[in-house]
Amino acid sequence: MRRLLWLWSGMFAGLLLLLLALWRMQLGLGSQYEVSLERQSVRRVRIPGVRGRIFDRDGVCLADNRPGYGIAVYLEELRQAGRQARTVHAVRRLLDQVAGLTGMASPVSDRQIEEHLFYRRALPLVAWRNLGQREMARLAEAGAGLRAVDLVVDFERVYPQGAAAGHLLGYVGKLEHVDDEESYHYYLPDLAGRAGLERRFDEFLSGRAGGQLVRVDVAGFRHDEISARPAVPGGDLTLTLALDIQRAAERALEGVAGAAVVLDPANGDVLALASSPGIDPNWFCPVLPRTVWSRLLTDADKPLLNRALGGTYPPGSIFKPVVGLAALEQNVINATFTLDCPGSFKLGNQTFACYQGHVHGVVNLRRSLEVSCNVFFYQAGLMCGIEALQATSRMLGLGRRTGIAAEGEAAGLLPGRAWKQQARGEGWREGDTCNIAIGQGALLVTPLQMAVVTAAIANGGFVYRPRLVLGRRRTLSAGFQEEPPVMVRKINWRPGNLDLVRAGMLDVVQGSAGTGRRGQVPGVSVAGKTGTAEYGRKQDGRKHGWMIAFAPFEHPRYAVAMVVDEIATAGGAEVGPRMRQLLCSLFQVPEESI
Amino acid sequence: MRRLGILFRRMDWSVVLAVILLLGIGVAFIFSAGQSQSAAYQTLYLKQMLWAGLGIVCFLGFAFTDYHHWYHRAWWLYFLGLALLLLVFVPGIGVRISGARRWIQFAGVRLLQPAEFAKLGLILALARLFGAPARNPRHRRLILIGLGLTLAPFFLIASQPDLGTALVLLPVLGGVMLAAGVPARTLWGLAGAGALVLAAALILLLAPPALGWDEARHEILLERCGISAYQKNRVMVFLKRDADPLDAGWNKAQSQIAVGSGRLWGKGFQRGTQNILGFLPRTVAPNDFIFSVIAEEKGFAGSLTVLSLMAVIIYGGLRAALAAPDRIGRLLCAGITALIFCHVFVNIAMTIGLLPITGLPLPLLSYGGTFMVGAMSALGIVQSVYIRGERN
Repeated sequence: MRRLLWLWSGMFAGLLLLLLALWRMQLGLGSQYEVSLERQSVRRVRIPGVRGRIFDRDGVCLADNRPGYGIAVYLEELRQAGRQARTVHAVRRLLDQVAGLTGMASPVSDRQIEEHLFYRRALPLVAWRNLGQREMARLAEAGAGLRAVDLVVDFERVYPQGAAAGHLLGYVGKLEHVDDEESYHYYLPDLAGRAGLERRFDEFLSGRAGGQLVRVDVAGFRHDEISARPAVPGGDLTLTLALDIQRAAERALEGVAGAAVVLDPANGDVLALASSPGIDPNWFCPVLPRTVWSRLLTDADKPLLNRALGGTYPPGSIFKPVVGLAALEQNVINATFTLDCPGSFKLGNQTFACYQGHVHGVVNLRRSLEVSCNVFFYQAGLMCGIEALQATSRMLGLGRRTGIAAEGEAAGLLPGRAWKQQARGEGWREGDTCNIAIGQGALLVTPLQMAVVTAAIANGGFVYRPRLVLGRRRTLSAGFQEEPPVMVRKINWRPGNLDLVRAGMLDVVQGSAGTGRRGQVPGVSVAGKTGTAEYGRKQDGRKHGWMIAFAPFEHPRYAVAMVVDEIATAGGAEVGPRMRQLLCSLFQVPEESI
Repeated sequence: MRRLGILFRRMDWSVVLAVILLLGIGVAFIFSAGQSQSAAYQTLYLKQMLWAGLGIVCFLGFAFTDYHHWYHRAWWLYFLGLALLLLVFVPGIGVRISGARRWIQFAGVRLLQPAEFAKLGLILALARLFGAPARNPRHRRLILIGLGLTLAPFFLIASQPDLGTALVLLPVLGGVMLAAGVPARTLWGLAGAGALVLAAALILLLAPPALGWDEARHEILLERCGISAYQKNRVMVFLKRDADPLDAGWNKAQSQIAVGSGRLWGKGFQRGTQNILGFLPRTVAPNDFIFSVIAEEKGFAGSLTVLSLMAVIIYGGLRAALAAPDRIGRLLCAGITALIFCHVFVNIAMTIGLLPITGLPLPLLSYGGTFMVGAMSALGIVQSVYIRGERN
């Protein structure tokens, strides 16, 4: 009898051992097994957020998302026992069936099915994208009988305004790599900003990707979806751009390569920022054909360049108001200071001519601005010196990026002694100062910089950082966050000095001898300055045409800078009419009334 | 009829209840394990219900039949078992399924696994040998005969090959001899000899690779000693944590994940991901690995329930042995209880990685007809002893 008790004790001990082991495994180490369970049966899928939209200041949509419907095939319902080729065959058969119903050729090859089975087995295979209404209707009719087929929605980027502000908006491309803090097994197609605002604000616009956990079975097919962290849609951007002004600026540049920038002098808002030739961001969606891309890259007109802020040009005569202000502030000239212009100016053995050898006679500052007398500014520039010119220019923001919230801005070049020593290994000469004084030499500016200069002259010396983004809205429920205008500095020009320059600029357009008369707009007093900037080799005689303008003179609402890459005659003659066209649109003056 | 009523009332109702509960649990989880699978597996639980019904009939039949009836026919039954075991090797009758001949078929229909029959036959024969009146269990010849009786089916089953089932016969012999009063010294000696054999096998498995033998040479050596590459693999998988994670190690790893991730209350009936998603191999989940399914879906609570019910049955077996009216009854109960215990212990230990993977089913829970009938008959014999036992 005691032996039976021994036997029982042994067995009881055995059962107890099992119980302890189970205790340890299920309650002690359980979480460790749960981790391995997760690892082997759960796949993380990255789900991109819906990209935010971009609006102009009046709420007109510039960049939007269009839902595109696609047909997805759920592989787990088609799987066949045995070799994978049988599953591929089953998928193929279904695709052919759908193709027959909808009348669309199947875009997926057997090889792609195999690849999908290999790499993305847990995800449905999206066989068709961007279904038309007709295909959708046909599928809906036949859909009930189709197993393992479903409609899926994804979003495609569209730019409803076509090429308007195309450079500024930029475009999106397929996201290649995702460096997320989390690692995923699968990625769904996502968009990434490739240029322009789409790139600059990519993080904001793209929102936060969501994750989905897909439970797979032992063969790796989708079993169910466990839980998902929803994707956070991207935020919306509102620009300071006004679509009608943008359109007008682009129209004014029709047929030429060039750029135009319209700023609000009161706060630096960018109302229009146009570059010609333009690009339509829709070309890039969903994918830009390689041939178009290579054409864009090799085109002599460089359509991909946003000239308005990335193009650097010698300013030519539109720099003269800056020189005038510098000389006035240096007290080397005043309102009554006059010079006699014989058509040229001799410095040592060098001769600096007035434009096309014009003889302007006795001119003061105001008159020399109106007629754009080079001789006056050579001497005014020499009298105040390169340092003073540089200082005034720098205060107005030349020689460095304005800091606009856009991609591809250039800094331009504001040369001086140090620059020349470093870049050319030579000392600065007075002749260099003469060249700078008429906006030539090594001086380079962007249209945007000149618009800022124009705005500062128009508003009494307030230099603003051009504001492109009026505000943003991170989520639908969040409020609209305005980005306040940023004033870089207030330049304290002595009273009278600025008025004098402004008066000269008014004469440029409104005066009888003004070079910018073609920019006149009936009923609006326009002030401005024209420029004809030579570039390249002298014997080629190539010229950029410029005009800056602000209006109305008394209470300026717009400051404009416009450049045309290639002109035959002079800035006033060729850019002036374009400026007038733009100003007429701005003030809603019918052009025929002139 | 009145006599039958008395017998019925004298049954050990705690054991009967435990048996019925376990049968129900088994059917439920075979249902659960089959649902995500092909149609054949989905209806497996219906067949198991049939087997359970048949098992209950056998249980009652054996319980109400005086066990002396079988005792008198013990030799017949024993040799019938051996004959059936031999039939497995006859082409056309023995079926080879995944490398092992464990089944007897007739006209293409799989009938039974003779090993299950032979186990009962052996227990009866050992009870007859040691339990016959006026036999001195200390007699060395008796012990040698007992050893011989055990080793005959042992080798036949081991060469099917089914080493796991064969090994179960040894503790059965031990249990019977212990209950029969074989001197402790002899028992220790036998246990020591068994340990030596085990140690030798382990050395054969582990030493040559450590000495730098190449695999082919090692396998030849093992084969000469009667260890197949398959068995070696099973043991290596058990000994090395992550050996062969895709093949032999898969079942072990997946079973452990299933059990471990069950936590306290489990994932819920039909919610076991390891089970539903097929990580727990679909072919073994309803039979050898049914405990993994239960442990995953019902957690530690489920494990505890199953172990407790098994303990009730095992304790009931020992109680029957204590109450047995004679030595024969006591030996029968000891042998059968040892058999049941070995199945429970080895099966659960293997599902949680404490022992190498062997094909031992879990009594009353695992799917399978022959095993169900065998186990229920055995438990019926225990009841037969208990019913006729003395009560204090």
